[in-house]
Amino acid sequence: MVKTQHGIRYAVHLITSHFGNLVAKVCECLLRKGPLPLHTIVRYTELSQMQVKNSLLVLIQHNCVQAYRIDETGGSQSAPKQSTQYLALFDNILHRVRFSKFLAIISQEFDKLCVDIVEGLLQHGRLTLKQIVERANSSHKEGNSIGVDAVQENLHKLVMAHYVEHCPASEPFLASPTEEDAPARKRGAKSAKIVIESEAIEQRVLAAAVPMEARRFSLVMDSELNDDGEKDQNKSPDKHVGDKRKLVASEPDIDSEAAENQVVLWRANFEEFIRRLRHKDCIENVRARLDDGAAIVLSAMLEASKTEEKKVKTASSVPLSVNSIYEEVIKSEKGRNMTFDHVRAALVQLSSPPPFVTVADESYSIDFKHIIEAAQSEEVESIVLKRYGRDAYRIFRLLSKASRLLETDKISDTIFVEKKETTKILYKLWQDDYLLMEKLVVGTATFLLWKVNKLVLWEHVLDELFHAALNLSLRVAYELEQQKEIVNLPIDRREGPMKDKYEKLKKMRILMESSQMKLDDAIMLFHDF
Amino acid sequence: MSRLHGQKRKQTDSNSPAQSLTEHERVLYNVIRSKQDMGIWTRDMKRETNLPDNVVNKSLKVLQAKNLIKEVVNIQNKGRKHYMAMEFEPSKEITGGAWYVDGNLDTEFIQILKEQCTKQIYKLKVATLEGVTDSIRRSGVLNVELTKQQIEEIVKALVLDDEIIEVKSNGMGEFASIPVGKICYKCIRKGSIGGEPKTGAMASIPCGVCPRMRQCTPDGIISPQTCVYYSKWLDF
Repeated sequence: MVKTQHGIRYAVHLITSHFGNLVAKVCECLLRKGPLPLHTIVRYTELSQMQVKNSLLVLIQHNCVQAYRIDETGGSQSAPKQSTQYLALFDNILHRVRFSKFLAIISQEFDKLCVDIVEGLLQHGRLTLKQIVERANSSHKEGNSIGVDAVQENLHKLVMAHYVEHCPASEPFLASPTEEDAPARKRGAKSAKIVIESEAIEQRVLAAAVPMEARRFSLVMDSELNDDGEKDQNKSPDKHVGDKRKLVASEPDIDSEAAENQVVLWRANFEEFIRRLRHKDCIENVRARLDDGAAIVLSAMLEASKTEEKKVKTASSVPLSVNSIYEEVIKSEKGRNMTFDHVRAALVQLSSPPPFVTVADESYSIDFKHIIEAAQSEEVESIVLKRYGRDAYRIFRLLSKASRLLETDKISDTIFVEKKETTKILYKLWQDDYLLMEKLVVGTATFLLWKVNKLVLWEHVLDELFHAALNLSLRVAYELEQQKEIVNLPIDRREGPMKDKYEKLKKMRILMESSQMKLDDAIMLFHDF
Repeated sequence: MSRLHGQKRKQTDSNSPAQSLTEHERVLYNVIRSKQDMGIWTRDMKRETNLPDNVVNKSLKVLQAKNLIKEVVNIQNKGRKHYMAMEFEPSKEITGGAWYVDGNLDTEFIQILKEQCTKQIYKLKVATLEGVTDSIRRSGVLNVELTKQQIEEIVKALVLDDEIIEVKSNGMGEFASIPVGKICYKCIRKGSIGGEPKTGAMASIPCGVCPRMRQCTPDGIISPQTCVYYSKWLDF
């Protein structure tokens, strides 16, 4: 995933506020330098080995770092040694500000116990069933204790819905890249190559670590044997019991013994939460553009096709017939009011140009790409409008739609603004990296040509979003620090001018926190959806 | 608005004012007249006639007083004095076209046209360019003749304003009466015309509109902690 400059700063800030400076230092090292072995991290951070180890453990526990093994290169005659490297998971670090959104999804679909389970998994990173049960009981007052069965049943529901998964392998082995990868790496400029390579490594590590589909969401709660096979000096034996099954068939007694110990580690499946949030975003976009009926039908289509979605950023959904869509629509409370004709009409509306849904042979599929891109464009255009004014907004929209170089005069004529004014605005946008400019010299005349490069611009906007998110966070912390006394004021002292100050502070907090949540939605729109 | 946009040549009678000219005045007048609807710049006049400056200037005054020539604004070079024979209307290159009056953009006229087009498209729900043009003509709101091309320019500007959207007809639903593949326009905002596009997340906070984002760092002179825009925003 794309890590911009401010993206890294924002991620480091999040780790600092959740885990402290030490852990943040290690994390920053990995984010800036890429995957590294332990001794290199020690060298770069100038911390002790113990400090780095402990920091890595915390980060791994909370799914912010993934370890993996590779063959060490060099040493011609000697047998290839394996070394462990650590990869920072930028996306998962960003998810840490979204836990309240994830919990909101769970509370809409399941009951309180499920919400508690997921809350625990988010708070602690990963838990065994035993730990989940213990946690559930410790937070309950006297009276009913929650039995293992109840917890197991609710955990089952969450796993079936893919919101909870088995933890990935703790140190998967990453084979050297094959010949097929090599040509891809030769293409492009050096910096582009580095980006592609680092993204490729991350993808390969994650792919190697994730359990097979059947295992990942397996409801088998009992024994996975303690693995000894891959313990090395870098890991402490506590929380990182891997879930590799020892392939020794002739040890039934170990199996039955281990049946007592619940050593499966569970964690929240971020991928599924992001998928749900992406769906919700699409539904809301459609509701804003069209109406509630269209939103209900789209929602049903998403529900019916979600299990077929291979990856989160899928461009379109699987085709569905109008009958299967109707069947899904009437399952929901709101949908029951819709007749078959209603649903048909909504589908016509949805597939009407510019289409959110494409039709082929009487099958309908959602055009995610179009919906997401339209939402992204709206966000960027909004920034241009508010920052540079209405004429700049028009210029930007013209150049975005044209997708090619346009000359100043042509722009000026199309938007009905005098050439001098147009040139001023174009320069401003170009200086702030919203436009590209090219000079064309013909004889004695020089022409200026302008263009929007979406790929480059989207990354620039994302970096600005990260920067803004960091700023919001820092400012909130600053305000609360300044007004520490007021924050800590006991209820009975909140009177008169103190009360006013308290209320003011409360308003500030609400405004800031809702802005942070909204801005995070925009970050997801550009980064995760 | 009573402007006509034709380039009609008005035939004036050739009568006495033209006959009582001096030699120099006649030469100058013929040169100016020969340029028809493009007119000519004073410096070019001087070059072509080889007449000395003061003679040209004096003659121009006489010709103007006799209503044989007029001064026009050349949109390409507003600073230059440009003259044209009375019987011609300035060409599009000189005036800047339908949208210019006296060398400046007629923003009022354009705005009114935009509003009228938007109204018609909202009324029709979905319209082709021809549909809009017809609708405007029939409404009789404007007392000028506008070509289809001019309406197209206005409509394209409305697309950029995010008032309407340009799509290709698929022949179904609301596009049933329009041939498949034909470009048409439909309204975006369900309900009112002329609303603002929705404000995005970034644009809703001080950072979104800040002109100093590039210089802003946590420890810098410009920082989120010391930011005056934030202070204003949080001042309830």
